[in-house]
Amino acid sequence: MKLPDLMLTGWAEIRAHKMRSFLSFFAIAIGIATFFYTLSILSQRYEDIDQTVKISGQGRISTSTSHALTMTQYQDFLHLLPANTSLSLVTDWGNWGTSPWYKGQEITKMGLVGVLPSWRDVDFVYRLEGRFFNWQDIENKSRVAVIMVRPREKEADSSWSTYGPDPENPTIALEELTYRHNLLNQLIQIGQETFTVVGILHIPPVKDDPRFLSNRDYISLIQIPYTTWYDIQPSYRDYFETNIRIVTGQENTANTAATQTVSFLRSQFGPEEKPDIQFFRDTVKDYIQIAYAELKKMLFLGFIAMIAGGIGIMNVTMAVIYSRTKEIGIRRALGATQWDILFQFLIEAMLLGFCGSAAGMLLGYGALLRTAEDVSQMTFSWWVVVLSVLIGLFTSFLFALYPAWQAAKLKPIDALKYE
Amino acid sequence: MVIQCKDLLKIYFSGEELHALDGVSLSIQKGEFVSVMGPSGCGKSTLLNILGLLDQPTGGEYFLNGTPTARIKDSVRSRLRRQNIGFIFQSFNLMPRLSVLENIALPMRYSGIERKLILPRARELAQQVGLEKKIYNTPQQLSGGQCQRVACARALANRPSLILADEPTGNLDSKSSQDILNLLQQLNQKGLTIIMVTHDPKIAAGTQRTIHMKDGKIV
Repeated sequence: MKLPDLMLTGWAEIRAHKMRSFLSFFAIAIGIATFFYTLSILSQRYEDIDQTVKISGQGRISTSTSHALTMTQYQDFLHLLPANTSLSLVTDWGNWGTSPWYKGQEITKMGLVGVLPSWRDVDFVYRLEGRFFNWQDIENKSRVAVIMVRPREKEADSSWSTYGPDPENPTIALEELTYRHNLLNQLIQIGQETFTVVGILHIPPVKDDPRFLSNRDYISLIQIPYTTWYDIQPSYRDYFETNIRIVTGQENTANTAATQTVSFLRSQFGPEEKPDIQFFRDTVKDYIQIAYAELKKMLFLGFIAMIAGGIGIMNVTMAVIYSRTKEIGIRRALGATQWDILFQFLIEAMLLGFCGSAAGMLLGYGALLRTAEDVSQMTFSWWVVVLSVLIGLFTSFLFALYPAWQAAKLKPIDALKYE
Repeated sequence: MVIQCKDLLKIYFSGEELHALDGVSLSIQKGEFVSVMGPSGCGKSTLLNILGLLDQPTGGEYFLNGTPTARIKDSVRSRLRRQNIGFIFQSFNLMPRLSVLENIALPMRYSGIERKLILPRARELAQQVGLEKKIYNTPQQLSGGQCQRVACARALANRPSLILADEPTGNLDSKSSQDILNLLQQLNQKGLTIIMVTHDPKIAAGTQRTIHMKDGKIV
């Protein structure tokens, strides 16, 4: 019998045994829904990791030291590291509570950090208005600032605008200020110093920010050149930490870079310097392990549901065979071979498995829509769809094989005589 | 010669040995219309099942169109059955959920005939048995006589050389029985070899030769 005929026959039999078919279909659908949901999340996580690693750079390590590095030390350090390495130094936030002023209006307290131009080499997910710092700004210790501003979520957020040292004299949040005024090329006052705003970095909303494994920016900041930061606050030099970020561009050079970093910092600041080197690959590995452990539990549940579905299919196929023994005999008398009978029951079960898989995927999709933080960020991989269908088909095939074989090996005359 | 049997033996083992066929030797020529008669349990249907390759003899030889069939594989038996034999059963054995047309087409679905040729051929056969207006009906919507005519048409689907009919008129009234006999006679006149098991001497009288059986033997 040809495949289209087998499928038509199978479909007719599924329709003829509605209740039994529905129960198997339902169990398969539940199993596939769990698989589809779990695999989709797994696929999404791997895609997120891929994207975050792409943005964060290969061979990324980070550490910190309690000393400030001079630009000469920076150059020496960079020369020690593998070729094409990006080395970025970022000062601490300093004395939390910097209150800049703009045209007589106090801006809500925020962090003030000193950075190098290499800061933008990796993890640069911002929309830049104006320009970023250049090495000339570093050399000249220029009084220039780049404002890093969060997306403005709602108009005149009262908690932002009233949060300040003096409730009688409310401050304005930087987000609100940048929304109301174009600060580019404007002057802002930080302490005793006046800075020109040369650039505005717009932080993407969290849902559009792929850096979920590296640091996201949850608050607005003002950046100034690294050298300027120490210039206006010289006492901070031996007081706050300097964060060091090294991206070699290749995973296999990360270890070398780590060794060189430790030896460089010890050579500069003494043997008591014990930098804690953090490898980005370990962060990724830990994340995968946690995600995998969580998903393993769900896959186990899906597996149990599929076993239940499979047993349902087996049960239905067995019952169908008993009720159709005579029919098997007639088909054999009309020339059907054992293979024809075997395929007929397998195709029937696999059709049920296919329909169950399709319904399961819809269920799983619905569950994803309900649980997703942001639907627009969800991506669907074809391999998840194909794998879910294959799991459904394979389960039906596997569990229908034994009863179908029992049907196929019935002797034609015994089947014909069965009442 | 379409059929040649020598010393066919069929023994059932259910506590004690039961000899359903006890050394049956038989030859049937091409184009013969043979009836098999005898009391219930004499082995008529067992003989027909063995001749139709639905069952295997315990001993003896059976040649179908010159091919020995005693020790052949199940797949070869299925092929021989499909290519050479058409069955007509007392209880019709039609598929209840299939239409008349699909019932007639069913043997062709297993014979590898090109799909587009199957339904036109089934229609032609329905017309041949006078059921062209009932092709979309299911067996439940037909009378006994009509069901048996569908079974006749189905038996002819793969253009067999041999028709085996197991009491085809057993469930029919006398008029319908006569119609089926007439139909079988027409087919026989077209060259088909027919072997028919019957209890009815009037029906047997309409065949060319009658074989009488008793206690598993031809008498």
